Amino acid sequence: MNDSATEATSSAGGTPNRAVSTVLHRLASQREYAVLALLIGTLGVVGAFNPSFLSGGNLRDMLVQDAPIVIAACGLTFVVLLGEIDISIGSSMGLLATALGLLCSPSHSALPVWIAVALTLLLGTSIGFLNGLMVTFGRMPSIIVTLGMLTVLSGVNLLLMNGKWITDLPQGLRYLGVGTLLHVPICLWAAAAAVICAVLLARETPLGRRIYAAGSNPDAARMAGLSVWKLKLFAFTLTGFLTAVATIVSVPRLSVIESGVGQGFELLVVTCVVVGGASISGGRGSVIGSALAALLLGLVRPMLIFLRLGVSATYWERAIEGAFILLAVLADHLARRTRKEPHR
Amino acid sequence: MLTITVRSLKYACLLLSIAAPIVGCTRPPTGSASGSNSGGSVQISSGAGRRVKICLLPKKKGLAYFSSCNDGAEQAAKELGDVDLIYDGPSDGAPEKAASLIETWTLKGVDAIAVSPNDPGVLAPAMKAARAKGVNVLTWDADGQPDSRAFFVNQATSQQIGAALVDTMAKDLGGAQPSGKVAIVTATLTAANQNEWIAAMKEELKKYPQIELVTIKPCNEDQSVAFQVTQDLMKTYPDLRGVFGISSVSFPGAAEAVKQAGKTGQVLVTGLSTPNNMKPYVMDGTVKSVVLWNTQDLGYLTIYAAEAIATGKLKAGATTFTAGRLGAKKVQGDNILLGDILIFTKDNIGKYDF
Amino acid sequence: MTTPIIDAEAVTVTKSRSGWAHRLTLPTRQECVLLGLLIGTLLLAGRLSPDFLTSRSQLELSTHVWELALLAIPMTLIILTAGIDLSVGSTMALCAVVFGIAVHAGLPPLVAALLSLLVGGGAGALNGIFVAKLRVHPLIVTLATLAAYRGIAEGISLGRPFSGFSDSFTFLGQGSILGFPVPGIVFLIVLAVAAVMIGGTPLGLSLSAIGFNETAARYSGLAVARIKLLLYTSSGLAAGMAALLFVARRNTAKADIGTGMELDVITAVVLGGTSIFGGRGRLFGTVLGVLLIHEVREFVSWQWNRDELNLVVVGTLLILSVLADSLLSPKKR
Repeated sequence: MNDSATEATSSAGGTPNRAVSTVLHRLASQREYAVLALLIGTLGVVGAFNPSFLSGGNLRDMLVQDAPIVIAACGLTFVVLLGEIDISIGSSMGLLATALGLLCSPSHSALPVWIAVALTLLLGTSIGFLNGLMVTFGRMPSIIVTLGMLTVLSGVNLLLMNGKWITDLPQGLRYLGVGTLLHVPICLWAAAAAVICAVLLARETPLGRRIYAAGSNPDAARMAGLSVWKLKLFAFTLTGFLTAVATIVSVPRLSVIESGVGQGFELLVVTCVVVGGASISGGRGSVIGSALAALLLGLVRPMLIFLRLGVSATYWERAIEGAFILLAVLADHLARRTRKEPHR
Repeated sequence: MLTITVRSLKYACLLLSIAAPIVGCTRPPTGSASGSNSGGSVQISSGAGRRVKICLLPKKKGLAYFSSCNDGAEQAAKELGDVDLIYDGPSDGAPEKAASLIETWTLKGVDAIAVSPNDPGVLAPAMKAARAKGVNVLTWDADGQPDSRAFFVNQATSQQIGAALVDTMAKDLGGAQPSGKVAIVTATLTAANQNEWIAAMKEELKKYPQIELVTIKPCNEDQSVAFQVTQDLMKTYPDLRGVFGISSVSFPGAAEAVKQAGKTGQVLVTGLSTPNNMKPYVMDGTVKSVVLWNTQDLGYLTIYAAEAIATGKLKAGATTFTAGRLGAKKVQGDNILLGDILIFTKDNIGKYDF
Repeated sequence: MTTPIIDAEAVTVTKSRSGWAHRLTLPTRQECVLLGLLIGTLLLAGRLSPDFLTSRSQLELSTHVWELALLAIPMTLIILTAGIDLSVGSTMALCAVVFGIAVHAGLPPLVAALLSLLVGGGAGALNGIFVAKLRVHPLIVTLATLAAYRGIAEGISLGRPFSGFSDSFTFLGQGSILGFPVPGIVFLIVLAVAAVMIGGTPLGLSLSAIGFNETAARYSGLAVARIKLLLYTSSGLAAGMAALLFVARRNTAKADIGTGMELDVITAVVLGGTSIFGGRGRLFGTVLGVLLIHEVREFVSWQWNRDELNLVVVGTLLILSVLADSLLSPKKR
């Protein structure tokens, strides 16, 4: 809502003075800009200490590392916009990775890669659909459904894998992880496609506007004739699908599929979405914000290495990560407070 | 209000009536104490004497390394004939959960528990309590606190592992005075075993003054983090010569990063892993040597030792011990020695399948 | 934003369960479901493995659950106000490490324990300030401190373990009084205090009121911010206590303890019938939820020796019990 509303004023605003104030207003009010500023600031500071941090190769590597998070966050943003949440993403990714590996590794099912990929996408979409069904038809809180699924899926994954890692991934599958198209890694194409589609979906389609509407006031939306349950089912299914996409383009980058794939991934993605400005109670948030937050949080680990802070700094890595999250949230909060806008 | 009470009571009755037949159906056949137990049931067979219940506790269930140890353990249990083997452990590797498992097993009255302690400190109280209650506790794969176990099935001590890793790297770097910058990619910052190895490695590195350890980074037991960390290390230290991947997850991640950066041969990767996981990297030269021991033999020896301790065949003070196909093994104090650390290279890795 | 519907819900629920006394005494639907499941589990356990049900086994096994149970009390109250605290596991680690460092610096265990409780309370209060005063969503705040507190624990301990505590201290975790484990007694005292606070003072109603409709609660004169600050602080304190129990039981203080604890605690609380949207929930339900999770877990690992199975069973249990509650409830819309 917020997004399109401010956009409308800025395009309608007549005088240049007003346009300038709108820009400033947006800079101060939107979490995306706080995150972007922090992102650029960090890049600049670390780059000043160690220029190789800003080299093309490193920027590409960092983007590649962030790609799966960005892809999954595109789906989760819609779920959060509708006031729901999905924390089953991590286990889901683990299970999908195992499924993908078992389906196409020569010592297991040995299916052609494209069939394995299609089946994995189908499985991911079904998991998302199942989450959606339980939330809509089961009338259960999504956090409980997906908390349950988080546990169940990781158990299923471990049982399925049975302690034997998958090490013989076929070259065709590895290509999805390590290959490039026009000198750009495939996962970046996938991430770019996911972001563009999600942004278009959110801003340009009736479906996107309905999701914003239903998220900011479900009852008004319901009274206006929107089937909120359909939107939720769609958002969860989309998240499931995108989790599968994230798995397919990120897991084959490595040569071994082990039992711990995806562990903790859900927290990363949720963190990115909320740091990116989405409101947990729904109605506010943007795909771009989530993606920028993913890039920002992705800086922390490489940053500590490039700053050559030595071994003891390593121990503070997680603390710094936490501080970054608080910083992004606080900056936004303070900006909001100066304008006395209600939070959440 | 009243309706709610009545309704809730109705639900309770309904649920109970559902639960009752389930319970009825799963009543085990009379005679044996438990039915569908995967290998660890109380069975007193008439002629063959008492069966020995042995629990094998890995640091983390689901790791390929421990599964391959379990393969050997199962083989030993089959050969011995009188052993009921339970293989279980925390799937997230949390030491407190391993301690809880030891307590549960003690309560069940098993004969022996073979522990690979993920954290000797956290596990010690539970292991000591188990011993106090008459359970034979031994350690395998990694040692615990000396008073918390009777024997240690010793494939290698932390000192030996640390030294082997550093010596292998030095040999691979080559030359009379091996030199260069190296880094360690460890599991987590709090991983007790890895921290012991790192301490031993630092000690061993003193022998090679030209080798400089630039940093130690955790990968949080996540392969893709190990991958990223190694990438960043190579960029930050362009003259980096070697990376130690000292967990079974960080090793392949680090090797893959070196390979994709096109620095095969320039940056050497070594670490601990089962040969099957690292074969491709050894064959293409990214990894010159993999350090480990025969995991199946380790599991096999552990079960033989546990059975011998539980049945009184192996007592404190023994100097040798015969373990099935492995033959006589040396016992040094309370350490049962498996044998030397293996170094897998291009020449011999094809011979091993685990 | 969504106030109209929350109002309506609040009214219907308070109508259908108007008496405060009744809320204390009668089991709710979810609690009946849980009781049924618990009795079913125990019956099944009794059939398959009679040894499991002996009082000796149960008392021994109970030592695995007290920290979880302790943390579940403040978590219930927080969720009752529509909040959440994801940082409890990390706070535990921080308190444990502070205790370990303090003892190794030569402080007497009692002083070190007080210091560690102080740090726990402080960590909780910081969450509380963000949530109550700055009004940032608790999920976001505690997601950040989930990383930050464990990070600080790792930073100040440099990953090292601290062990070798005196027997008088480890008694807190390993000892028993009249056959009952000491941590259990600590839990029961905390539970009693919480129950009296909730049942015997207006605080209980205030919590539900905040959970149902915070704005309305604020306008009707409740000190919402102060209550929330109190809740998060007590959550931090409970994490401090849980840390001390843990350290005493395992004789080791380390920065990795309590990893993933927050999800276990939340699972137990929501399984116990506390609505994640706030306003509805009781300590009695939480106790049942903790008990059910504990018994199921212990029995599955007792009987089948498969840790992975435990994950599947507990997750399924959570989904099914909440699904049963939702399906059995009259249609809302």
